[in-house]
Amino acid sequence: MSEPVLRTEKLTKRFGGLTAVDNLSFSLAGGRLHAIIGPNGAGKTTLFNLISGLLTPDAGQVFFLGREITGLKPHQISRLGVKRTLQIKSVFPQLSVAENLWITGHAGQRFLNPFRPAARDRGTAEKVERTLEQIGLAALAKRQAGTLSYGDVALLEIGMALISAPRLLLLDEPTCGMSPAETERAVGKIRELAQSIDIVIIEHDMEVVFEIADDITVMAQGAILASGDPQVIAADERVREAYLGRPEDEDYVEEAAHA
Amino acid sequence: MTPAVAIERGVMVAFAAFLIAVPWLIPAVTSSFWVSVIAEILIWSLFAASVNLLFGYVGLLSFGQALYFGFGMYGVAIGIENLGLSFWPAFGLGIVASMAMALVTGIFAVRLTWHYFAIITVVFSLIFYFLALTNKWLTGGDDGINFALPPTFSFGGMRWSFTDATFQYFFILATVAVCFWLTHRLIGSPLGKAFLAIRDNDVRASLIGLNVYLLRLIAFVLAGFLAGVAGALFAFFGRYASASYMFYHVSGEAVVWAIVGGAGTLLGPIVGTSVFIIVREIVSTHWEHHALIVGVVAILVVIFAPKGIVGLWREWLLRLTEREPAAAVETKLRTEP
Repeated sequence: MSEPVLRTEKLTKRFGGLTAVDNLSFSLAGGRLHAIIGPNGAGKTTLFNLISGLLTPDAGQVFFLGREITGLKPHQISRLGVKRTLQIKSVFPQLSVAENLWITGHAGQRFLNPFRPAARDRGTAEKVERTLEQIGLAALAKRQAGTLSYGDVALLEIGMALISAPRLLLLDEPTCGMSPAETERAVGKIRELAQSIDIVIIEHDMEVVFEIADDITVMAQGAILASGDPQVIAADERVREAYLGRPEDEDYVEEAAHA
Repeated sequence: MTPAVAIERGVMVAFAAFLIAVPWLIPAVTSSFWVSVIAEILIWSLFAASVNLLFGYVGLLSFGQALYFGFGMYGVAIGIENLGLSFWPAFGLGIVASMAMALVTGIFAVRLTWHYFAIITVVFSLIFYFLALTNKWLTGGDDGINFALPPTFSFGGMRWSFTDATFQYFFILATVAVCFWLTHRLIGSPLGKAFLAIRDNDVRASLIGLNVYLLRLIAFVLAGFLAGVAGALFAFFGRYASASYMFYHVSGEAVVWAIVGGAGTLLGPIVGTSVFIIVREIVSTHWEHHALIVGVVAILVVIFAPKGIVGLWREWLLRLTEREPAAAVETKLRTEP
């Protein structure tokens, strides 16, 4: 079997007394769309932050295509081809849609020329045009990103992920807050992307998850609870417990009420 | 070209023509004292542009740019008085000294952002202000260093120097214009776009692969360059350098000028600086509390025109030229009483 795209080894992150990610080891094979689900506070976003370098782990390692990336800076990890979106939609609000894409497409270059007009970079400009067509925002190219509707910002984020030519894409709740129509559009895009790029997606919308994921990993309290294909996960007793609470917990509540 | 852009270009051409005509126009209309006021405005505009580069384009609010202005001044004064340099090497020394200082302090300062960044820049500027005050042997302390002006150009018997007021004016105008042109080029370049991205969202910028720390440091050194050129020009203009120009009060004024004029716009610093210095020159002869006007204007602009005078002007221009109602009118929500 080939090298896993992403692998973590006993990854741990604590915030004070809280262990957000607890001794987490997993390995993701290439060519599949992985979804990470789990109740709030399970440590999903923290895991993404550890992978993308926004946080440094207290212990453990992260490997991308066999190369250790633990402790690298976010921009270094990004340049290796690991791109991500943030849970709270995050673009450059005062730049236009086209400029958002332009700088994202250009950021991989080692040298940012201060003496040449940006407009003269035909290569990046063409990539921007192509991406605008792909995400269907060509009509809004000159609009300030901060004035876009929520769904359009999400599309722009996907466009920014696209133009940066990722090898691994981490999507943090991409359809959160979208209308059903927008969700459908975004899911279509993600499916299309998954043809050529390895994607890991955090998602709360179970319909979306079971529709697009090849593999599902369930996290709870910083650890992996279960992992497997959608049928296996849907049938897993422990997963249901994590989402709905254990019967014992209810007993506990009852006891507390009687005490 | 939209009508708004055309009008703005026209205003800029008229403004440039006015600046070129100043040495003849001003003495004909009023006293030639105003020629040197305008020269001074140009220098301080460049200083405000250094604040603007950091705050308006990279999102770092520096309250310590006077430090680099002071190093520009002292580079020139010490170069001429102590080292016996001629005009151009002294000019170069001033600029290099400011940039070197910006590099050294920037290495520490740009690790921080927002108020922490503002505070550390003030602290650096205070440290060197007091060092300059106490090391009289080198800096002359509060009295400063006076020096005799070397000629700027000399070909055979011909000499041009700052003692000729018209030459002085045009030299300052040309230098300031070149610096603003360079800033304009910078903002439109890939490096400038990266600055804007960092200003808007630094976490996102790092996730798309921009080295935020290094880019902020580059911006800080470039801002040091602008402040250094302004300081060096001011030294030549006043024929002296003094520690009092390194005080954070001077930095604070530049912040006000840049924000009132319009942070994040190329000409905002010129507009803001002009308004305040002209008000000061007119009012201060009649009323000693002219700083009060500065405060009131600053507060009014921050509340009613967050994008400064230039922002206000652009809004007004758009409303004037766009007859038909805009396609998407932003609904302004009241968030505060």
